[in-house]
Amino acid sequence: MDLRAIVLVAGMGGEDAPGERIAGVPIAYLDALGLPVLQRVLRRLRQFGICTATVISDVPDVTTPFSRRAQADPRVRHIATDGDELWDQAEDVFQQYAAEGADLVVALRLGPYAELDYEEMIQHHLDRHCVTSMAVDPQNACLDVFVLSPEGRFDARELFRSHLHRMRRKCEPFTVRGYVNHLQGAGDLRRLVVDGLMAHNAVRPEGVEIKPGVFLGYGARIHRKARVVAPAFIGARAKIHAQALITRGSVLEHHAEVDCGTVVENSTLLPFTRLGAGLDVMHSVVGFRCLAHLARNVELEITDAKLVDMVPLSPVSRLAGSTAALFAFLPKQIYRGFRALSHREEPAVDPECAELRAAPQDTSELEAPASVESSEFPSNLAVVRRYGDD
Amino acid sequence: METISRPVVVKRMPERMNLKQARKFWKEVQPFLNSDRPQVVFDMSQVRHLDAAGIDMLLDCMREAVKRDGDLKLAALSAQSAVVLELTRTGRLFEIYETSTAAVKSFSCFLPNALRQLEPQVSQGAVPIFAPQTTITNDDGSGESIAA
Repeated sequence: MDLRAIVLVAGMGGEDAPGERIAGVPIAYLDALGLPVLQRVLRRLRQFGICTATVISDVPDVTTPFSRRAQADPRVRHIATDGDELWDQAEDVFQQYAAEGADLVVALRLGPYAELDYEEMIQHHLDRHCVTSMAVDPQNACLDVFVLSPEGRFDARELFRSHLHRMRRKCEPFTVRGYVNHLQGAGDLRRLVVDGLMAHNAVRPEGVEIKPGVFLGYGARIHRKARVVAPAFIGARAKIHAQALITRGSVLEHHAEVDCGTVVENSTLLPFTRLGAGLDVMHSVVGFRCLAHLARNVELEITDAKLVDMVPLSPVSRLAGSTAALFAFLPKQIYRGFRALSHREEPAVDPECAELRAAPQDTSELEAPASVESSEFPSNLAVVRRYGDD
Repeated sequence: METISRPVVVKRMPERMNLKQARKFWKEVQPFLNSDRPQVVFDMSQVRHLDAAGIDMLLDCMREAVKRDGDLKLAALSAQSAVVLELTRTGRLFEIYETSTAAVKSFSCFLPNALRQLEPQVSQGAVPIFAPQTTITNDDGSGESIAA
C-alpha cells in the first residue's frame, strides 16, 4: 500500500495557530530531549511505513538555524512558503501524490503532538469507507491529523482551503488512545519533555544514560564540581560549569550552557542558550533571550547578556570564541598571580602599633603558662574525634 | 511622650530599568536616601524590563538606606520584575509587599504609637503625628501625598 504524508508546520502566530511558538520559533522545530518534535513525528510515520513525506512550512528566515536541523532528513522534501500559500502548496502536493498513484495520504499539522497508531487509523478509514477521516483526542478535540483518499480531491481542497477546519463530508472521527500533547506553548513543551523523562510517552532522550535517570548527549561536558540530579537530560555539546545544580527534571538541549553556581530547577534550556553565573532558574523555559515562567504565566525578553545570552550559532564563531578564551586565560592567570603576590606583602608597620607590640605585657593576672612539655606538640600525633560508637 | 513618625517616600520605578535609566533613577532617589534613617518604598508595578544594572541600582539603594539605619521596601511587583528578582536571587534581600500602601503601613507597625489606632491627622501643611507622611514621586518629579 502506497502511503504518503503531508506535514504542515504553521506556527507563526496566525489565526490558525495563535500560540505554538516560543520566541517566534515554532515548537515543531524545537528540540525535545535532543531531537526536534518534527523529526520525532517523521520518525513515527516511518515506523508505520509512511516513508514518503513533504514538509511545508511558513517559517521566516530568522528561524533558519533551528529549522535547518529539523530538516536534516534527506528522504523528506521540504517546501518553505509564505503565509496563505502554505495551504495552496498543501493542495498542490496532494494533487501530485494522487496523480502519482498514492493509495492514501496522511495530512497532519504541527501543532499538536499525538502518538497515534496510524495502522489503526487507516483501518478505521477503510472500514468506514470514508473519504476524509479525522483524529480526535478522548475529549473530542481535533488533533489536526487527517487521512485522505486520493479520489476525494474536492474534499481535500475544501479541507486545505478551510485551514483544516471544515470537512466536505462528515465521517466518524478516530479517537486517539495514545499520548496527546497539544503543544500550545512553553508549558506544553515542558510537559512533553518531563513525560519523556518519566517514560510516559515515546519521546526517548537522545543520549546515553550515565546513571539512572540522567541522560547525556554526545560531547556534553559536566564540571566535576557541578551536580546533576535525576531525572535530567544534558543535550549534545551542552556545558555545565562548576557549582551549578541541575535538578527536578531539568532539560538542557544541545549547545546550552550553564555558568558557575547557577541552579536550574524544573526548567528547560532551549538550544544555544547560555545562562549567566549565580542565577536561579525555576519552572521556566529559557531560550532565544526569552524566559517563559510557567508558574507566573509570563514571558519576558531578557536583553542583558549577563543573565541570559545565546551561544554563537555557527561552529566557526564558537571555535573563535573558545580560542580567544583560551588565549585570554594565561595572561589572566599571570595577572592574578602577581596580584595575589602583591597582597601577600608585609603590611607597612605603624610606629604606634610597633611600640605597643614591643611593650612588655603584664601577665600576672593570667593563669600560669602551660608547662614546656605540654606546649611541645608532637608532630606525629593524629587527632581522632569520636562519633557515636565508632 | 509622643514620637513623630518619619516620612515614607514612595517612588514609582520607570517601565524600563537598564543602565541609563538606572543611573537617572539613582540620581532622583539619592536625596531621599541621604536623609537620616530613610524610609523608602519602590513601586515596581510599571516595570517591564529589568536588567542587571537595575538590580545593581536596587542593591545600591538598599545599601545606602541600611547604612543610614533606614530601610528600602519593594511593592506591587510586576510579573516581569518578580521573575528577574527571583532569577538573580535578589528578591530574598528585600521586603516585598502587594501594594504600596501595605509597604508604607509596614513601616509604622512597629512604632509604639501605632497601637493606639488613632485616625491620622493629615491636613494642609500639617505633619501627621501618628501616621507616617507618605510622598509618592513619579518619574517626572511630580508627587502626591497619602496617609498610611
